Amino acid sequence: MSTSLPVDKANKAAIIGQQKESPIDLRSEIIVQIILFTIGLVVSFPIILAIFTSFKEPQDITSYPPSLLPSERIRVDIPGYDTPLMLFNVTFEDGTQRQLARVEQVGRNYLMVDPDDPETIITVENAQLQNVTRINFTFENYVTAWTSQPFARYFMNSVIQTGVIVAFQLFFSILAAYAFSILRFPGRDLMFYLILGSLMVPFQLTFIPNFLFVSQLGLANTYAGLTIPFLASAFGVFLLRQFFMTLPKELHDAAMIDGAGNWMFLWRVVVPLSRGAISAFAIFAFLSAWSQYLWPLVITNEQSMRTIQIGIRFFLFDQERGADWGGIMATAVIALLPTLLIFLVAQRQLVRGIAMTGLKG
Amino acid sequence: MTVTTEQDQQIASQSRSARLSRRKIFAAIEGYLYLAPTLIVLAIFVFIPIVASFQLSLTRAAPFGNRSIDVGLENYMRLLTDPVQLQTIRISLLFTLGTVIPGIVVAVTLGILLALPLRRFSWLHRLLIFVPIVISSAVTGVLFRWIFHPVVGYINYVLSLIGINGPNWLSDADWALIAVMLAVIWQQLGFNVIIALAGLQNIDSTYYEAAKVDGANLWYRIRHITLPLMSPTLFFLFIINTINSLQVFGEIDVLTQGGPGNATSTMLYSIYDFAFRGTPQRGIASAQSFLLFLLILLLSIVQFRISSRRVHYQ
Repeated sequence: MSTSLPVDKANKAAIIGQQKESPIDLRSEIIVQIILFTIGLVVSFPIILAIFTSFKEPQDITSYPPSLLPSERIRVDIPGYDTPLMLFNVTFEDGTQRQLARVEQVGRNYLMVDPDDPETIITVENAQLQNVTRINFTFENYVTAWTSQPFARYFMNSVIQTGVIVAFQLFFSILAAYAFSILRFPGRDLMFYLILGSLMVPFQLTFIPNFLFVSQLGLANTYAGLTIPFLASAFGVFLLRQFFMTLPKELHDAAMIDGAGNWMFLWRVVVPLSRGAISAFAIFAFLSAWSQYLWPLVITNEQSMRTIQIGIRFFLFDQERGADWGGIMATAVIALLPTLLIFLVAQRQLVRGIAMTGLKG
Repeated sequence: MTVTTEQDQQIASQSRSARLSRRKIFAAIEGYLYLAPTLIVLAIFVFIPIVASFQLSLTRAAPFGNRSIDVGLENYMRLLTDPVQLQTIRISLLFTLGTVIPGIVVAVTLGILLALPLRRFSWLHRLLIFVPIVISSAVTGVLFRWIFHPVVGYINYVLSLIGINGPNWLSDADWALIAVMLAVIWQQLGFNVIIALAGLQNIDSTYYEAAKVDGANLWYRIRHITLPLMSPTLFFLFIINTINSLQVFGEIDVLTQGGPGNATSTMLYSIYDFAFRGTPQRGIASAQSFLLFLLILLLSIVQFRISSRRVHYQ
């Protein structure tokens, strides 16, 4: 939306975490550190949990109380037995503990052996058994998520959809921003306000006619249909125009005197000088295109054309697989990985962009 | 040296102005060529659809065939009188209130903490708190479905540690809306904290120094310096969050699909329901999208009115 952010001279360095002021006293610092670490872990917990869960074995996922790290129940090879036996921590009635391997369950009692003394069978009555586990990451969920339905296809669809949207938005926004910042012609400002005004129009007001129109063109379930309403970005035009306006006027005059046309000036001078602003916009465009939900949901109904976001939705609602949380979490991790990587690499640019424009893209 | 007659001069100036106006025309053509791709896309997919959407909102699909019947304002009347439809408006407002206010309170508190000049780990705290901004609404929905799982979900596990028997979040009509609110607050937290932090960093530190000299305590400083001076930022956060909250879709779809019953069916979810589930009723869906647009506009105007009295600019 186009409400302008009241922070004009936002202290960029401070926003991204470089302080100039003198530090607070040590006691307060320790308290604040503890508070912030706690909050930071709570906030990022859903993501951390999803990543760990995606590496868990099925029986480990639904164990209660829930454990964070993925673990595996240990089985041991014991001489005299064909198959490895499950290892337990056994707590007897009198409070003593022993580590024993289970041979067989007989009613409510167990026949167990001590791994160090495999000859003697011990009958265990009225004792509590707890699996001995060790931390173990399994890729099983990724394999099943990837093979049980066309996830590679969903991922590719998302890559194509996002790539097309980002490329067109960049190209079209650079052109329009150039016209609005450097060229002079009648009606320019009117057109600028028109484009700015389109930021005020919420997507829910236009998506039904857009759906009818794109369907009538026969573009439902195509890459063209997925991307066509988003090929231009008013936000991008606005953002890049603001940056292009800061370039010195003399550059344009000099280029014109040298006989370079606007086209050449734009691509040889303006674009190289604006790499920062353009890549900031590319990050925003990428994040919002990759995360799209409502439009891909309504414009595709063939499984082969779903994007990864829509793929997760149907994977989740698929009754047969509804309980396969390992697979669901593996899918979610695959879907969030590209954006998370962008965040880790370009956090500063992203944060600065949000702080200075007040827009999410 | 040539002597120019009056006539010659006239011809020369005519051709010059012709050249000038030709150059002007050329400049205009060039300018519009640069704008054309953006203007065409926005015209087809933003401006024309507004008109089309309004026309659609005055119709109803005929029972048989593909024809539509003009019904005037009937769709609007139904949306504003039918108790089921009024309920969706109520849920939208409740949902907005329940995400915007707690979301901003949390964001400003975190902003104040993050703005403190710490010796270490500033970057790490920011990383951990900002990270939800890159998580899509669908993935947010999935993550919170797992957190809210009635048996092995972490929220109920943590509640059980302090002796509370957690509700069945997503299938209990009393709790589902709150569950969706929590997910949406989480998803928007990073964005809100970044904006709050930017507003805080923008406050001139001499105000604090003056207050310190006067012996003002921390709470006094927050209440009488920080909050008034960041009121433009707060105002901005209110408007943006209101607009965003009224347009939440993905989280609701993944978490509850508007249910149980209609407990989490906001206006946008109801629009989707009308237009794309069961027999499509796109007339009334369009009417509802217009009502939602008007509601967004109305709330923004109200906030502008309030802010003109309350917001202090430095």
